[in-house]
Amino acid sequence: MKAPALKIVVTVKLVPDPNAVRRIDPATKRLVRTGVDTALNPFDEYAIEAALQLKERLGPETTVTIFTMARESMKESLRKALAMGADDAVMLSDPALEGSDVSLTSYAMAQALKKVGFDVILSGALSDDGNTGGVPGALAEYLGVPGLTNVRKIEEIGDGRIKAQRETDTGYQVVTGPLPALVTVTMAVGEPRYASLKGIMGAKKKTIEILSAADAGIDRPLGSDGAKMEVVAIAAPKSREKARVVEAADGASGAQAIFDFLRERKLV
Amino acid sequence: MRDVIVFVEHSGGQTRKVTFELAAEARRLADALGGKAHAVVAGSGAAALAQQLQNHPLDKIHYTDDPDVDKYLLDPFVDYLEAVAKMTGPSVVLVPNTMLGRDIAGRIAARLNAGLASDVTELRVENGRVQCVAPKLQGSTITTCAFKAGDYGVITVRPNAFSAAPKSMGAEVLSIEKPPGKSYKMAVESDVEEASGELGLEEAPVVVSGGRGLGGPQPFETLLKPLADALGGAVGASRAAADAGWVPYSLQIGQTGKIVSPQLYLAVGISGAIQHKVGMQTAGTIVAINRDGTVPIGETADLLVVGDLFQIVPALTALVQKAKAAHA
Ligand SMILES: Cc1cc2nc3c(=O)[nH]c(=O)nc-3n(C[C@H](O)[C@H](O)[C@H](O)COP(=O)(O)OP(=O)(O)OC[C@H]3O[C@@H](n4cnc5c(N)ncnc54)[C@H](O)[C@@H]3O)c2cc1C
Ligand SMILES: Nc1ncnc2c1ncn2[C@@H]1O[C@H](COP(=O)(O)O)[C@@H](O)[C@H]1O
Repeated sequence: MKAPALKIVVTVKLVPDPNAVRRIDPATKRLVRTGVDTALNPFDEYAIEAALQLKERLGPETTVTIFTMARESMKESLRKALAMGADDAVMLSDPALEGSDVSLTSYAMAQALKKVGFDVILSGALSDDGNTGGVPGALAEYLGVPGLTNVRKIEEIGDGRIKAQRETDTGYQVVTGPLPALVTVTMAVGEPRYASLKGIMGAKKKTIEILSAADAGIDRPLGSDGAKMEVVAIAAPKSREKARVVEAADGASGAQAIFDFLRERKLV
Repeated sequence: MRDVIVFVEHSGGQTRKVTFELAAEARRLADALGGKAHAVVAGSGAAALAQQLQNHPLDKIHYTDDPDVDKYLLDPFVDYLEAVAKMTGPSVVLVPNTMLGRDIAGRIAARLNAGLASDVTELRVENGRVQCVAPKLQGSTITTCAFKAGDYGVITVRPNAFSAAPKSMGAEVLSIEKPPGKSYKMAVESDVEEASGELGLEEAPVVVSGGRGLGGPQPFETLLKPLADALGGAVGASRAAADAGWVPYSLQIGQTGKIVSPQLYLAVGISGAIQHKVGMQTAGTIVAINRDGTVPIGETADLLVVGDLFQIVPALTALVQKAKAAHA
């Protein structure tokens, strides 16, 4: 029996290279995104991996579309996702969206994703720079679809239903529900694959469609005007004093050094 | 924005400790805003938990033991929380920054068209506006955010960042009506425990964490568990240990695992990659055991003991046990 084809959309945030030094501009109180290499949010690479695994399972008629909301100048950073094996990409880009907070970002993404269409949306659990983890939940609400979070394994998908294992604080749950749905994945889905040379060559010809806020039908105040929260101050963290370093001659002396230290701090 | 609402997280008939921290903070904020402090508790056993919450400084405790809460994923929680929030008007919603809390936060923020502040470690009220302090960019920057005054605001709060302040104020206990016209879709078919008793990792006063240096699953049981027990704490792990299958992912500390802030964090055989540090660098005291004196954990630790963990850990456990016995 042939598995039914699915339209999969993966939300991918473009973030400053996780290996670069991160800096907030004191004037705008926003993350500096210029002059820093842009990378795919590492957690979203796992969502791409999960999507490509589904495509392998369900056959070539299943498509994987990458979706991002980002500046148009970051467009080329999406080639990596296409080189990994995604079919195409859609970018929601509009200067009016700069400075959006979680709820506005999610709302704007939802409007665009309704235009794009999907059977299932795969997202990472959190972004390396924003780190709120709030977008997928809010996105599911604005789209009016059920959300299935922290999935480590998709057991069954197709015929309008999904069955998956999701991680919990103490183990996992098996959850079933209808499609369309939004699914966030954990790193347990498997290491993101590397792009092959053929993939890299092929990615150059794949399409990246750009949608403006108007194209997406966004009808709310945008950017910082629409944001419900503002950054009022930024500061450096309290620096910790450098560690006391003790070379332990043997187990007993190492243990004694720790024990004495804990005593000093009244922790034992 | 006047009232403050606490989302109560519970499991196995027990309220998670972080809820009590949120209740104390809710009281303080509500007083500063001239409003009331509420709690919302939903799921099986909610009625009993609501009674227990009367020992905390709240004004109103809303509960429901609707069985749908446990049968379906997330939506029923969000519905009940929304119902209470809509009843109180523009308010501050506090949820713990835990796996469940993070899932709830984005959803309730969308329902209330609210701003969302995440992983907050300090809260204050200035000119009637709630300000949230949170470490960002892997702990390299501390940001302060403010909500617009007339709107709802949702905040995820880091466990152990605030202290509980139990105090009975004769809070009213009220049952919440089921919002009409709801049908739920994501059904929970089964719940499997892989790491029983480890639920309190984020809340444990002491966390003893092991990394790749442990070399396999056994040392977690034979070395770390006895030390954690002696110190009254819980066992955690690095991602390398979880990836290797030595411990379940539910023990992983870090950016993609749990964020902990215990009084004492012991990093055993862990190098201290930035993604690991994000999950533990606000601990009160950090002690590392590593055979390499140049590891990055040294930049975050208060004490780094350079030596073989297989020799140091058992000796340390014995010292702690002896001290405890002498004390008893
Ligand atoms: C997107 C992303 C997200 C990530 N999220 C997380 C996360 O949430 N949490 C996390 O922990 N990691 C995370 N990582 C992985 C992280 O980068 C590191 O790879 C990981 O933390 C390393 O684990 P480790 O310290 O146990 O192993 P290693 O780096 O291999 O360190 C093992 C240490 O043990 C010491 N050692 C070995 N034997 C002994 C001995 N006998 N006695 C004493 N010391 C010994 C060694 O000197 C070494 O320092 C993430 C990575 C990425 C890319
Ligand atoms: N601007 C964006 N474009 C595309 N996806 C995003 C964007 N922001 C957040 N996401 C998705 O939401 C997840 C969680 O992000 P966050 O809530 O910012 O921590 C990410 O892993 C992405 O999948």
